[in-house]
Amino acid sequence: MSKNMNYAEAFEELQAIVTEIEQGEITVDELAEKVKRAAVLIKVCKAKLTATEEDVNKILKELDGAD
Amino acid sequence: MAADRRIFSLLEVTKSIQKTLQERYTSSFWVKAEMNKLNHYVHSGHCYPELLDKQNNKVIAEMKAVLWRDDYQRINQRFISILKEPLKDGIKVLLQARIQFDPVHGLQLWITDIDPEYTLGDLEREKAETIAQLKTEGIYDRNRELPMPLLPQRLAIISVESSKGYADFRKIIQGNAWGYHFFQMLFPSILQGDQAVTLIIQQLRTIRKVRKHFDAVLIIRGGGGEVGLSCYNNYRLAREIAMFPLPVYTGIGHATNETVAEMVAAFNAITPTKLAEYLLQRFHDFAIPVRDAQELLSDISLKLLDTANQEFRSHLRLFRSLVEGLVKSRENEIAASTTVLGQQAKHFLRLQKEELRHLEKNIHLLDPVHTLKRGYSITRVNGKAVQKLADVNIGDHLVTQVFDGLIGSSINQKKES
Repeated sequence: MSKNMNYAEAFEELQAIVTEIEQGEITVDELAEKVKRAAVLIKVCKAKLTATEEDVNKILKELDGAD
Repeated sequence: MAADRRIFSLLEVTKSIQKTLQERYTSSFWVKAEMNKLNHYVHSGHCYPELLDKQNNKVIAEMKAVLWRDDYQRINQRFISILKEPLKDGIKVLLQARIQFDPVHGLQLWITDIDPEYTLGDLEREKAETIAQLKTEGIYDRNRELPMPLLPQRLAIISVESSKGYADFRKIIQGNAWGYHFFQMLFPSILQGDQAVTLIIQQLRTIRKVRKHFDAVLIIRGGGGEVGLSCYNNYRLAREIAMFPLPVYTGIGHATNETVAEMVAAFNAITPTKLAEYLLQRFHDFAIPVRDAQELLSDISLKLLDTANQEFRSHLRLFRSLVEGLVKSRENEIAASTTVLGQQAKHFLRLQKEELRHLEKNIHLLDPVHTLKRGYSITRVNGKAVQKLADVNIGDHLVTQVFDGLIGSSINQKKES
């Protein structure tokens, strides 16, 4: 699992797992795998809500270079 | 040199012109013109507008005018209340005026009134033209059709640091109770009046260069009242917004009709506060399914384990009851067999006993003693009972048993019978 996983992809995959589970065709054995995966996806999504890596100074520097 | 020539002073000439004009133009009249420059002097409060008439963008008439302080104030108030715009440069006006000629200041129109309805119509026309033009170019919906960022989190904000609307916006965004984090970068600009068009466009072009760092552009104004918003109907500004590669969200804060800039923007909120709430809502729209997924996964896991557990327990119960039933039925069978066996054994023993008794009786009857008593005897040679002639030879010693003893004899003759 890439650390820089796109949150939009994570969100989408998570929704897919939820749909799969809601449709109810999942065994206990599969479930263990899905839950493990979903836990990672949830972590990615939650982290996105509370942090960004943007930096005003970096953007200003980029603008200086562009002019 | 002609002696008869008549010489006028300049004043006499100007006075004559003045007199002629006064006699010719006795009353005021209505004139339509473009007010190229208002030329308002703050100190005196008077205006010296520069009026033009244009045809195909070429000036075909030009005239100076004067608008005295009291008239200016009255007219300006009416403009603000009706147009939501002050008197300003570059608007089309229908004005009531008199021709004035002053020996020093020359010819000018003395403006006594300006009809705001005419200018309003002109502004409405400009707005309609902007919309029509954008639609003709097929770009009217372009910004609104951009894919919505899942989380509008990195915001390029066009506003003024000191704007009340911007402060309201920040208060809601920064103090949100859910800990949602936004990255904000301010690109300062004037947000109303004619200068706003150029400055906002400039900032949009700056943001365009670093757009990969942002999810959306916000234009935030507020606390500035309703005046000076016609800049948002400007074609150039509306076009820049429509064509912008990131979604533009507007929170310009006014109660009157939507401007074109707001119409073409990906999202328009009535106020900066509402815009902030919209962004938080978008975060909720993302956060809630994530939270629901978490709950669902936890619930479903427990439920599945529970079901498996119950199934196991019910199998166990069934197994136990089957085994117990089986054991019980075997026990019963054994008990029944035991009873039968006891009865059978007793019966058998009784039979055996009876038979024995019977045998005993027979055996008793068969005892030779009884036969001997009746007169029979047994003759033996060498201990063996003699049954036929061949068993004996002449001279053999016979022992004859009778009831109460033995008789010894020797054979001296054999004769067949």
